[in-house]
Amino acid sequence: MTSPSSAGSPGAPKSDDHVEQSLYAKAEKIYPREVHGLFARLRTLGVLGLLGLYYILPWMRWDGHQALLFDLPARKFYIFFVTLWPQDFFYLAVMLILAGLLLFFVTALAGRIWCGYACPQTVWTEAFLWIERKVEGDRMKQQKLDALPLNGRKLRIKATKHFLWLAFAAWTGFTFVGYFTPIIELGQRLLSFNLGPWETFWVIFYGFATYGNAGFMREQVCKYMCPYARFQSAMFDSDTLIVSYLPERGEPRGSRKRSADPTALGLGDCIDCTLCVQVCPTGIDIRKGLQYECIACSACIDACDDVMDKMGYDKGLIAYTTENAMEGKKASIFRPRIIIYAVFLVAIMAAFAYSFSQRIPLGLDVIRDRNTLYRETSEGLIENVYILKILNMDKLQHQYELTVSGIPGLTLHKDMATIVVASGGVQELPVRLRADEAELVVRSSDVVFSLVAIDNDKLSVTEDARFLGPQ
Amino acid sequence: MTEQQVPKTQKCIAVLWPSFMVAIVATGLFFSAFDPDDLYPFGEQTEISRMGIYSIGFLVFWLITAVSGIGTLYFAITNCMRRNPDSRDQ
Repeated sequence: MTSPSSAGSPGAPKSDDHVEQSLYAKAEKIYPREVHGLFARLRTLGVLGLLGLYYILPWMRWDGHQALLFDLPARKFYIFFVTLWPQDFFYLAVMLILAGLLLFFVTALAGRIWCGYACPQTVWTEAFLWIERKVEGDRMKQQKLDALPLNGRKLRIKATKHFLWLAFAAWTGFTFVGYFTPIIELGQRLLSFNLGPWETFWVIFYGFATYGNAGFMREQVCKYMCPYARFQSAMFDSDTLIVSYLPERGEPRGSRKRSADPTALGLGDCIDCTLCVQVCPTGIDIRKGLQYECIACSACIDACDDVMDKMGYDKGLIAYTTENAMEGKKASIFRPRIIIYAVFLVAIMAAFAYSFSQRIPLGLDVIRDRNTLYRETSEGLIENVYILKILNMDKLQHQYELTVSGIPGLTLHKDMATIVVASGGVQELPVRLRADEAELVVRSSDVVFSLVAIDNDKLSVTEDARFLGPQ
Repeated sequence: MTEQQVPKTQKCIAVLWPSFMVAIVATGLFFSAFDPDDLYPFGEQTEISRMGIYSIGFLVFWLITAVSGIGTLYFAITNCMRRNPDSRDQ
């Protein structure tokens, strides 16, 4: 068994040269054969579920707004019942860290199931393969068609395929932009040919990326571009679930009649039908051992199980297994690596949930007037001018009370009698602070603004500022 | 490996793809901290929408990171060739 990071023939000293050669050789098109079986059904479920979510989610409404909208023009992220502001960047960063950690955890436990069932590259490639099969026919027909010189029929078939691909990709690009700008208005603008220049740019950009990645690049994205494929081996251990061929059972391989007794012929269970190679979306031979190109899609398991059934052998010549299980050792799920990942995951989730529940949906920024440091009023007091920005991130409108402290006898003057900010609104409020010069010990004193909602004293924030006076 | 052995597509991917990902992160960080409406590029207020500023910001970040990637690729390949001077003849 080789480690997942090494590729090609295991143990061969010259394998590195060989690998580099093949990595940089011109990629030949892979025609994955269609496969049926348990894991193929699971992947179809994954594809339909995830693509369904992707295309439907932006059309869902929640509480009068788009349920999932990363509203870049308005600088607000709506995630169902939560509205995040730029001030909440921290939560978004923690969510990303959580997602990363979850991927580590799942990888240690179950290997690259992300790659085989849930990765957007896999999911869209499956959809594009499906369209290709509907238009061009199965693997044999596709190969025959590609071998033909260009003629009317070939042109018609290819044009149909690319038209369908492009239409699907364009819809994908439109949906993508719909996550960042309200999709209903976006659709109306699209229908009236009134899309903004940048919206058009991103629809085309994402659509083109989908078309290229799922239609042409395919497995090369996993092999050459995916960072996860490169570092996932660091999370593997001998108890990680992998797709593996059992050489002790299969070798020596060889073709035989169905009625023949393999033991009499001195053969293992592998009939060398090469179906496992034909179905592989990355074009590898799983019988050479675990290779980094393997995305654990288990198409080879389905194909081989089917053959084993037909031959009347036991299933599982290629199977989901672990290195330890193959060596006859006891497989263990609860091992230090898993426990450490799980503890981190739970701890960060708990901290996130707690911190989020304590989040105060009120923001206060204090900006000093930059033009004058201070001025003296006619009563001989020192006056500083500030602009306050009050951000109400709550779902309700609130009236707030503003106070200030830090210097004895400090007074607050503002033009507005009451401070009322609508839900989701920002209110700019110019205020003036006045203090007696005798109370100013130093040139720059610290003052604290505090803002509290009149109807809910939990909605309260403070913000520090400086009060400048003469030397 | 010689420079000639690395196909152009591979080089393009090696430069454009990592820089693309880093540019996304940089754009996210930059515009979380700064609202385009508060920015005065070169001392002037712009008429461009936020969406436009984000997009231009992303493309500029991508350009900068890609230039850095070209440098890395160039040094990696020339160093490789210096270590195996014979490979140039191949």
